[in-house]
Amino acid sequence: MKPSLGRCLLRLFTVQGSWNYERMLGIGFGVAEEPLLRGLSPEAYRTAMARGAHFFNAHPYLCGMAVGAAARAEHDGVPADQVERLRTALCGPLGSVGDRLVWAGWLPLNSGLALAGIALGMGWWAVVGFVALYNVGHVGLRWWALQAGWTHGLRVVDALRHPFLRRAGAFLAPAMAIATGAALPLTMGYLSGPFPGWARVLLAGAVGTGVLLLQWRRLGLTGIRLGLGFAAIGLIVGLVWR
Amino acid sequence: MTIEQGGLLLVWGTLVGLDLVSMPQAMISRPLVAGALAGAMLGDLGTGLQLGVIFELFQYDILPMGAVRYPEYGPATVAAVGAAHASTGALGVALGVVVGLATGLLGGISIHFMRRANAWAVRRHSDALERGDVSVIVRLHVASMLRDAARAALVTGAGLALGAGVHALLVSGLAVRGAMVVAVAVTGASIAAGTVGILRLIGRGPDLRWFAAGLLGGAAGVWLR
Repeated sequence: MKPSLGRCLLRLFTVQGSWNYERMLGIGFGVAEEPLLRGLSPEAYRTAMARGAHFFNAHPYLCGMAVGAAARAEHDGVPADQVERLRTALCGPLGSVGDRLVWAGWLPLNSGLALAGIALGMGWWAVVGFVALYNVGHVGLRWWALQAGWTHGLRVVDALRHPFLRRAGAFLAPAMAIATGAALPLTMGYLSGPFPGWARVLLAGAVGTGVLLLQWRRLGLTGIRLGLGFAAIGLIVGLVWR
Repeated sequence: MTIEQGGLLLVWGTLVGLDLVSMPQAMISRPLVAGALAGAMLGDLGTGLQLGVIFELFQYDILPMGAVRYPEYGPATVAAVGAAHASTGALGVALGVVVGLATGLLGGISIHFMRRANAWAVRRHSDALERGDVSVIVRLHVASMLRDAARAALVTGAGLALGAGVHALLVSGLAVRGAMVVAVAVTGASIAAGTVGILRLIGRGPDLRWFAAGLLGGAAGVWLR
């Protein structure tokens, strides 16, 4: 591992640290890119840093691909407007690929497995397994993205066409569906276990009503609002029914 | 809960809050992890896991994409476990979830204000940023993370304090049956939120078949147990 790439990777773990509505990931991008820009002349270094801190937004795990590619382009003496265009062009694809792979694939897959594990009595081990397995994928993806960006530079789009990403997407979607599907009844069994018979019937009713209310889009209900609403109703009934 | 345990939960809640957005996004902020470790700190892993599962299901309601605003369930789960630990059985679950939901809402609002504060700081230093002043860029970044740590600590602290207050209020007001009704209501809401969130993730495409297969397998698992 090149020392500057290692330092860059470490800083990428904080890339969202200064997330804001103005430049989104921009400042974090600049901070992460800085170790890769150190070999440039002082003037080129400063202008590259200023560009690095401009607006940027993408999936945080794949952000390294843009950081590596932009830094490589700066070293290759690519004109400033072309570096800016590269950054802008990467926002959308890195965001959508990352969202699909991680937020809608790898994370719910691991979470579903952990939920099922807890419901099946694995306890602490399910949680440890979740953290360990998830982060193998997490750290691996960050490292791969950074290396790919640094290696390909302006041709970084080639890395986005890598068969690994297509295969991962094709595997993760059904795997996530199976894991979360299995986790739902197991979790329901686990959570209803301590309740007596009448309360289980009430629970089934609460779940059914909750699903219907959440699906009714015109209500604009979210999970937390439903939870607070049900808690309020439960408290009123609970305080009256003694 | 002793003062030492309260302090440990505060530190844990702060780390969990930092993990959500700032660093390192290793998913210790997932309620499953946050709740289990909070439970272990209190010597009550069972409650930690139970509340972790409940809030993990609520978490499925959220897809943290782009600049979307969402509740923050990590520190909320830590506060929930702290509140639930003071009581046993259904009352503990009821108390914990009520406190956790309120803390989650507060956490979400605090993230929004922190992002606005970050944007304000960026605007204030825009000239230095355009000059490529590295020290300013790094200072802004570090200051934002410290702001997030302070925010997470405040949210966790507020949740723990809320837990103590709600505990005093509800213990005297709720009978066992009443506590059971609240616990059932909030557990039902979490399962409903989890179900709808998962269905939204899967969509109406071919993965629905895989989901149905998983559902059947899970149901068979429940039946066999």
